[in-house]
Amino acid sequence: MKKLFTAAVAAAAAIALAGCGSGGTTDPSNVSPTGEVKPREISWLLSRPADGAVINIMKKLADDYAKDHPGFALNLITTPDRPSYIQKLETLAAANKLPELFDTDATPFAQQLAKQGKMVDAEKLLKSLDVYDDYRPSALDYQRFDDGSLHMIPFQFELEFIWYNKALLQKAGVSAPKSLDDIPAMCTALRDAGITPIAIDGQDQWPLERYVAYQPFREAGPEFIQKLKKGEAKFTDPAGQKTVEWLAALGKAKCFQDGFSSQGYSDAQNQFTSGQAAMYNIGTWELPSLATDKLNPDVRDDIDFFTLPTTEGSVTKANEFVSPSGIGMAVNAKTYDPLVSDFLKFALAKYPAEYAATGALSPTTNVETAVPANATPLYKKALEMANDLGDKQAMPWDTQLDPTTNGRLQQELVLLVQGNITPEQFTTTMDSTIAQNAPKFFK
Amino acid sequence: MTAPAAPVTRAITAPAPSDSQPPLRRRRKPNLFSTLSRVLIALIVIVQVYPLAWLFITSLRTEHDFATGDPFALPKAITFENYARAFETGNLGMNILNSFIVTMGANLLIVLLGMMAAYALQVLGFRFSKIVRSLFLIGIIVPVQIALVPLFIDYSTINLLDTYPSMIIPLAGFALPMSIYLFSSFFEYIPRETYEAASLDGAGPYRIFGLITLPLSVNTVVTVVLVNSIFIWNDFIFANTFVLSEELKTIPLGLQNYIGAMGKTDWTATFAAVCVTITPLLLVFLVLNKAMIQGLESGASKG
Amino acid sequence: MLPNRSRLSVLVFLLPPLLLYGIAVLFPIMQSLFLSFFSWNGISDMEFVGLENYVRMLTADDIFWRSFFNALGYLAICLVLQLGGALLVASLLTSMRRGRELIKTLYLLPAVISTVAIAFLFVRIYSIEPVGLLNQLLHWIGLGALERPWLSDINTVLAAVSAPEGWRFTGLYMLIIYAALLSVPQELEEAARLDGASRWQLFTKIRFPHIMPVWITTTIMATTYGLRGFDIPYLMTNGGPGQSSELLTTYMYKTAFTSTDFGYASTIAVFIVIECLVAVGLILFMLKRKADA
Repeated sequence: MKKLFTAAVAAAAAIALAGCGSGGTTDPSNVSPTGEVKPREISWLLSRPADGAVINIMKKLADDYAKDHPGFALNLITTPDRPSYIQKLETLAAANKLPELFDTDATPFAQQLAKQGKMVDAEKLLKSLDVYDDYRPSALDYQRFDDGSLHMIPFQFELEFIWYNKALLQKAGVSAPKSLDDIPAMCTALRDAGITPIAIDGQDQWPLERYVAYQPFREAGPEFIQKLKKGEAKFTDPAGQKTVEWLAALGKAKCFQDGFSSQGYSDAQNQFTSGQAAMYNIGTWELPSLATDKLNPDVRDDIDFFTLPTTEGSVTKANEFVSPSGIGMAVNAKTYDPLVSDFLKFALAKYPAEYAATGALSPTTNVETAVPANATPLYKKALEMANDLGDKQAMPWDTQLDPTTNGRLQQELVLLVQGNITPEQFTTTMDSTIAQNAPKFFK
Repeated sequence: MTAPAAPVTRAITAPAPSDSQPPLRRRRKPNLFSTLSRVLIALIVIVQVYPLAWLFITSLRTEHDFATGDPFALPKAITFENYARAFETGNLGMNILNSFIVTMGANLLIVLLGMMAAYALQVLGFRFSKIVRSLFLIGIIVPVQIALVPLFIDYSTINLLDTYPSMIIPLAGFALPMSIYLFSSFFEYIPRETYEAASLDGAGPYRIFGLITLPLSVNTVVTVVLVNSIFIWNDFIFANTFVLSEELKTIPLGLQNYIGAMGKTDWTATFAAVCVTITPLLLVFLVLNKAMIQGLESGASKG
Repeated sequence: MLPNRSRLSVLVFLLPPLLLYGIAVLFPIMQSLFLSFFSWNGISDMEFVGLENYVRMLTADDIFWRSFFNALGYLAICLVLQLGGALLVASLLTSMRRGRELIKTLYLLPAVISTVAIAFLFVRIYSIEPVGLLNQLLHWIGLGALERPWLSDINTVLAAVSAPEGWRFTGLYMLIIYAALLSVPQELEEAARLDGASRWQLFTKIRFPHIMPVWITTTIMATTYGLRGFDIPYLMTNGGPGQSSELLTTYMYKTAFTSTDFGYASTIAVFIVIECLVAVGLILFMLKRKADA
């Protein structure tokens, strides 16, 4: 028994040590460390496709940099599956073992890391590297915390559209919606014509969560979610009730494919590209599959897109919608030194041109995106939308809410849309969940 | 779903020659019961074999067919392009090697230590053996997920992160209880007299272990190895938590290479990779199957 | 006990396994137990909260109780499929004389396939739009009225996620039970048969009592594995829709890694351990009493 007790004490000590080991005297606002650049291996913990543009370019840039700085290496540790990545990031953070660079969204968890001084002030960093003004303001805004501080650097810029199949809409005798409020009726017409109205990836949760953000963004602007997550606004408010009722109406009109909650990303896209579903809400990262000759020839000429419809009395404009700059890269304050700074200076200056050459939108405005040779006219049209964006953007709620509320919201949304719970039940559950969990995260 | 299962069905439903029947059942002619039971077995076998067949067929589909066709129909055309893509995008060879090292390492610990503990508990025996036994029982019961954060913190303190042992140790630790159980029940089966005779000849516990217990346990060893290999080969959770570098990634981590932007997965390439990566396991499995089944039977029937 | 053993030899054999087990399993479990009395999000300072987590779990957490009952349902289905299926197939096998080895091998196959692929396949089997295998079959045999999105219907999802898990490892249990059935003495069966016992009586009066010890072992194995089930529900539905297929294990995982509430997650883990111990105790108690009666 005594042995057991000793072990328990040792166990306690091991965790307590890690738990309190948040110290470190580095100043996160000191972005220009002085001293010699000593090449070594640095790591970037990231959640991006293993064979994607970002990783390929950064690998190449790291190799170029290593030529002038022998001994330098960039170790890219990617976990493309997001839930697995988040588990890994949190475990590393708990053990105080975060590498030099790591990916994170502007989540409440990241904000706590920033508050503890674990992330370098990215605004100051970008300014000191003299690249701050190159960035699209909305690309940076997407990465900011509520207090306006910036701790993550974007590597992408995407626009989210609702893609639709003109032929199917015509068959059902409907046209692209003028207002968000037109969509339920549209779905009914499409269903009557035997067409699945909207293909949605229910398994990954975030696509359905986009829909809950739309009405409040039009009705009350981007501030609604910022207040809602802290409990200062409620689902019982007019903007909240509007989105709840609207989602219930979408469900009632059977807008989404039957059994959507377990269907994955490819399932949804395949339904749209094979001409079974009329609409599909997705961002410009899918341009290579939706706006090139890779797209199924049977539907290629019928595909078009529209941006998030407005509503009557909308406080945000038609050119303001969801325009995320992807998961951002944070710089670990504890390991920030002249080498990391020098490498970032090198890489961030060269990255935009390389990235734009792959046909994707750069988070900066100083380069022109190359349209691939196999693109359809839609490709260019999609890219051009980026030139005319308003000042506001609709933030995805999954990066805003505290994680517990977010998890509950994702679950309750499915029930609401499937008609398993009433709008009243949904409202009560969510408001009480926020009241319970928000204070812990937004003190 | 009929193509791959057909030969199997035929093998099972073929009538057994009556002259080989044991005397007890001779008078029971092929009646309703045995016909029914054969049909039932055939059905069950189809259900068991189908997923593997489906997996393989899907890995031969073209991307277009996969995206637009009926997932359960036979493919319109067969392509090996998915395999080419699987090898090109992933690092399958290295993943397989890593999984092999981890599986071997963990198995070594599981077998050796499991045998030793069972020997101490079952053959040697001691005063507190009941307490130690129930201590090991806890390991069968605990959900592994909960050990992740503590283990990660412990490993980072002793600099064990991102090494083969960081995967091998927890995998072996959590599999140890079941291994001890299997060995114990097998050792029970070795007659006491064998040990007593050896003891009278002056053999000590170490010689008895080496000369009697070890050689007699080969079947159980095979069983333990194969049952554990199935789980370790497919382990995701420990590998994902403790491995950071590309060079140490095991197969389940390697399969993530086919995940693209926002979770869009290249499924046909994934399935091709799954087919490639389960092949070594499957080969070992089929070749050693007979030994394994005997091992499991002799171990379990005395449980 | 061996006559010539020494205290030292016991230690030599026992210490290495205990050491590994202690480091890899017992120590982290103790750390978890310790964490369950704290509030900790992984990056802040730990705060001692005493029994607060336990009080919250037992009195104020509706999802916890929902997951608990789901886990019981999940367990029941897994047990029926694994033990029932295993017993059925094992019994059928003993009445066969050819192809036993082949069937045993084939029966084990699903255990080899990685969970990701299994989850992917079953999502398709259960699908309704586009129509999947199960709904197609129902349609063909004239039960079209039963067609539904199995994984989205809150009344069927729990059964739908339990089935693949139950099915996967039936083979392992079947092997064990089959081996036990083979060990039933032929003379006993023959004597009973001569007395005019029916197949059913033969089974309930002779065979089953004989394999009772093995049956207990397999039941304990299947129960503890069932209560720890995680990856198939996690991959197929992530606990949804709503909390309809949330299990204690998936809830614990989410509490730890989505909500970063490591203290509370540890509390749930402690509950799972206790729950498993109680289940094992109950099984032993019930089966013992039945055997004594």
